[in-house]
Amino acid sequence: MERNHLPRHLVLQRQSLFDQGLLDEQFIQLEELQDDANPNFVEEVVTSYYQNTSTLIVIIEQALGTSPLDFNKLDGYMYQLKGSSSSFGAKKVKADCTLFREYCKAGNVEGCMRTFQQLKKEYASLKRKLEAYFQLARQARVTGTASRPK
Amino acid sequence: MAPAIEGMVPAIESSEGNNKMNKGYQYPSWKKKLRGLVVDNEELCRIVEKGIMGLCGVETQAVETGEAAVELIASGATFDIIVIDRFLPSMTGPETARKMREMGVESKIIGLFALYFEGDEEEFVAAGVDDFKEKPLSPNWLVPMLRELDN
Repeated sequence: MERNHLPRHLVLQRQSLFDQGLLDEQFIQLEELQDDANPNFVEEVVTSYYQNTSTLIVIIEQALGTSPLDFNKLDGYMYQLKGSSSSFGAKKVKADCTLFREYCKAGNVEGCMRTFQQLKKEYASLKRKLEAYFQLARQARVTGTASRPK
Repeated sequence: MAPAIEGMVPAIESSEGNNKMNKGYQYPSWKKKLRGLVVDNEELCRIVEKGIMGLCGVETQAVETGEAAVELIASGATFDIIVIDRFLPSMTGPETARKMREMGVESKIIGLFALYFEGDEEEFVAAGVDDFKEKPLSPNWLVPMLRELDN
């Protein structure tokens, strides 16, 4: 199904992900790369992202529970998380990683804690919204196939 | 449907086998067979960078460490483009790039970083990379470079 023939509700849902600042240009570029041979590239990336980073999130949370904080270690974890988040255009999560990093550099414990809580919320929210979007996109493709003339 | 990219978690199976999702932009076919190498310790980045390069028409291998990359080159593998992450486990990104240049590698080498540390760019450039870029590796950035390599 061509993207410009997607059902309106799906188009609007997709657009809202950009309007809310959740995704950036990288997501669009990855979608552009998808073709008949690789139709699910973006969804596979996102699925792998959440599988790969869920443990990292737990590790960071545990590291934030130690005292004193090891800012070098936290910096390293953020490097990984930001790299992964940027790979598919997770704009807000990426921004939170950068902000967290600034607090690490400044040795600001409260800033790190607060930013991480924010990051976790954005991370979870993006997951829910992308799962919903991909599910609707799959349904739309199935519907499109069903309605094609034989 | 099997995942598009080796090592990826597959998306839920689509019921149609002839998905017609439109590519908004048709990448050119290359005159040469372009070969790429990704050196990145972070699994998802490695998978995505390899995937992007592959979907842009570059036959790409991916390794986790600088040592593995150097070993590949020492075994005779050649590449048109090599992307190296700043932070690798033992041999750093710049050290890997430097070693490659010492071995006579003339490929385009790109240093990638997720978070900027002061001195990183200078270190990478001194090691002999052609460019230094913040992640992500994006198709719009990559394709013009591939076009240059293809010419």
